[in-house]
Amino acid sequence: MRRALRANGLSIAFGLLFLGSLVGQAISGHNQVNHDQLLHQGDPIGLWHYVTSAMFWADVMENWQSEYLQFSLYIFATVFLIQKGSNESKEPGRVGRESDEQQQIGEHAVRNSPRWARVGGLRTALYSNSLLLVMTSIWLASWLAQSITGRIGYNAEQLDHQASPVSWPTYVTTSDFWNRTLQNWQSEFLAVGSMVILSVYLRQRGSPESKPVGAPHAETASEG
Amino acid sequence: MRGVRVMFILYAVGIAAGLAYAIVVGIQGY
Repeated sequence: MRRALRANGLSIAFGLLFLGSLVGQAISGHNQVNHDQLLHQGDPIGLWHYVTSAMFWADVMENWQSEYLQFSLYIFATVFLIQKGSNESKEPGRVGRESDEQQQIGEHAVRNSPRWARVGGLRTALYSNSLLLVMTSIWLASWLAQSITGRIGYNAEQLDHQASPVSWPTYVTTSDFWNRTLQNWQSEFLAVGSMVILSVYLRQRGSPESKPVGAPHAETASEG
Repeated sequence: MRGVRVMFILYAVGIAAGLAYAIVVGIQGY
């Protein structure tokens, strides 16, 4: 049991951080909504009502979509673009999808290679892009969910101010939708760009996200 | 690898459930 916990430390720690933050978001969001209700002479709502509302889920999905977009783009961009000196990048000579030999596909598969890497054809083609496919699908699904849930809150606000509710196709053209979307995207892109370029000159001893402390600044694609 | 597989499944199920629930809530208009 202890060995299993240690072997999964990263996914367990981040899973728990996620759940803790989600609970915190639910409690603070619920308080904020009820504060707003008081200001507008409305009735307070219960916590359960809040966490099963489109309002809460729009906030959750808005952040999910930007994170999954960030990782999807990063996975895709690092196939074709490099950053000299960064361990977030691969070596300048390996730009592109690389050879079957480098990727251990088909006849170059090793003893413990996944079966779909070995068999060739459509299955290997699919498996060769499975991480990007799944991350992009989660991004698109959460962005869709953001638009569907965001419309409910937007329409409630419209009705409060004697304005007409909007349809989904109209909502995805509103500044509310794009403001919620882009305010998340900008921070993700800045963080990724920072990570790429800061890791050229800065180090964290012991982290695979950094080069070894003594690695030269010009060294690309090394892990410490 | 059993623990690793359990974590993979937990994440996959959690993400899928979150996405599905959000879409349902949005469609029902709560």
